[in-house]
Amino acid sequence: MDHDPTRRRALQCLSWAGTGALFTMSGGVASSVMVETALAATPAPQAVAPFSFVQISDTHIGFKKPANPDVVGTLRETIRKIKALPTTPDFIIHTGDITQLATPEQFDTAQQILSELKTPIFFTPGEHDIVDGANAQPYKARFAPSAKGDGWYSFDHRGVHFVALVNVLQFVDAGAGKLGPDQLAWLKADLEPLSASTPIVLMSHFPLWPLYSQWGWETSDAAEALALVRRFGSVTALNGHIHQIQQHVEGKVVFHAARSTAFPQPAPGVGPGPGPLVVPPEQLRGFIGLTSLEVRAHNAPIPITDTTLA
Amino acid sequence: MRRSNLACLAGVAAFALAAASSAVAAGEPFAHGDPVAGKIAYQACMGCHAIDDNDVGPKHRGVVGRAAASVPGYAYSTALKASGIVWTPAMIDRWLQGPQKLVPGAKMFFSIPNPKQRADIIAYLATQK
Repeated sequence: MDHDPTRRRALQCLSWAGTGALFTMSGGVASSVMVETALAATPAPQAVAPFSFVQISDTHIGFKKPANPDVVGTLRETIRKIKALPTTPDFIIHTGDITQLATPEQFDTAQQILSELKTPIFFTPGEHDIVDGANAQPYKARFAPSAKGDGWYSFDHRGVHFVALVNVLQFVDAGAGKLGPDQLAWLKADLEPLSASTPIVLMSHFPLWPLYSQWGWETSDAAEALALVRRFGSVTALNGHIHQIQQHVEGKVVFHAARSTAFPQPAPGVGPGPGPLVVPPEQLRGFIGLTSLEVRAHNAPIPITDTTLA
Repeated sequence: MRRSNLACLAGVAAFALAAASSAVAAGEPFAHGDPVAGKIAYQACMGCHAIDDNDVGPKHRGVVGRAAASVPGYAYSTALKASGIVWTPAMIDRWLQGPQKLVPGAKMFFSIPNPKQRADIIAYLATQK
């Protein structure tokens, strides 16, 4: 089915939205080109078979503060949105803070609700998923049982190499995350056999670029990880933690921070600090949501579409 | 030095008042926060804390003046349990400038560099008795 040209054509057509323009997101800049230009520029199909996947993040099951007293409800709305997508995603990725406090009850609830997706989910933990801020094993046992170390792993899907990184177990000033030498050594070995034309998708909770250091919105040793992916033609780094869309580009690496399904946080540097942002209840769904990604070809940015629950 | 002087003179109200005044004059504004502004600034704490519930961090009601690591039902770090700290406004001010500098090995890493913001938060916490 995945090599069916009809399906591939249908996927391409979905992008045109009937307006004669093709929209892609690259580095936070939405660009549109006329259909004819896009067709002329479309590279010949390579080993990547087109597919889509969805990112959700920061579900915070167990959170009950005024910013969203019903995080279970908004997660269920998110699930309904995913099920209604025009293209069924091959899988979901969850970039952490599955729960608020990593209690067995919250893990149970999260697993039960997320199972309603009926789609494989690949997780990476947030700092809220680590028991007492130090013990990753309860998270790992439930959400990434075959992962290495404290929860990092990789997998390949239709020519794309996905890497789930854990940057929520060691912290530096202001609460920024860290990957640590063990994980970086694993990452080096993991990437080494891959051809530079393999599209890479990095998943992490904290951003892998210095989004806003004063609030700890960065990963202190991310530069070492990024040095390892620099030779690849297409790298997409997806993170959570920020609870809002933020994007950045460095060379061929596209960074994208996703919305939460639970509550927003303030824009970087706006207000006293990070934390749950209370918005009028009728506006909340305009601040939370999900992210869809369509993989089409080698050496091309993966188009990213963010959708709110509004 | 100033802190030890204060300890020695704790029973002498006039001296204590004078010392407190000089502390403020010396550029330590933690005693002059605005609790109304502090309630807004407290948003920076609410990712991990709440006034009445243990969360990622312990609940904050009554924190000003209490001993560190003393809230029932919260799993504190060994480092904070061993610290012997009492959360006076001055101590909270130091903690918020860098928890790991004050108590290496504590769970908290987030800090608040702005002195006015710290003072406001401390003033707000002091109202949450």
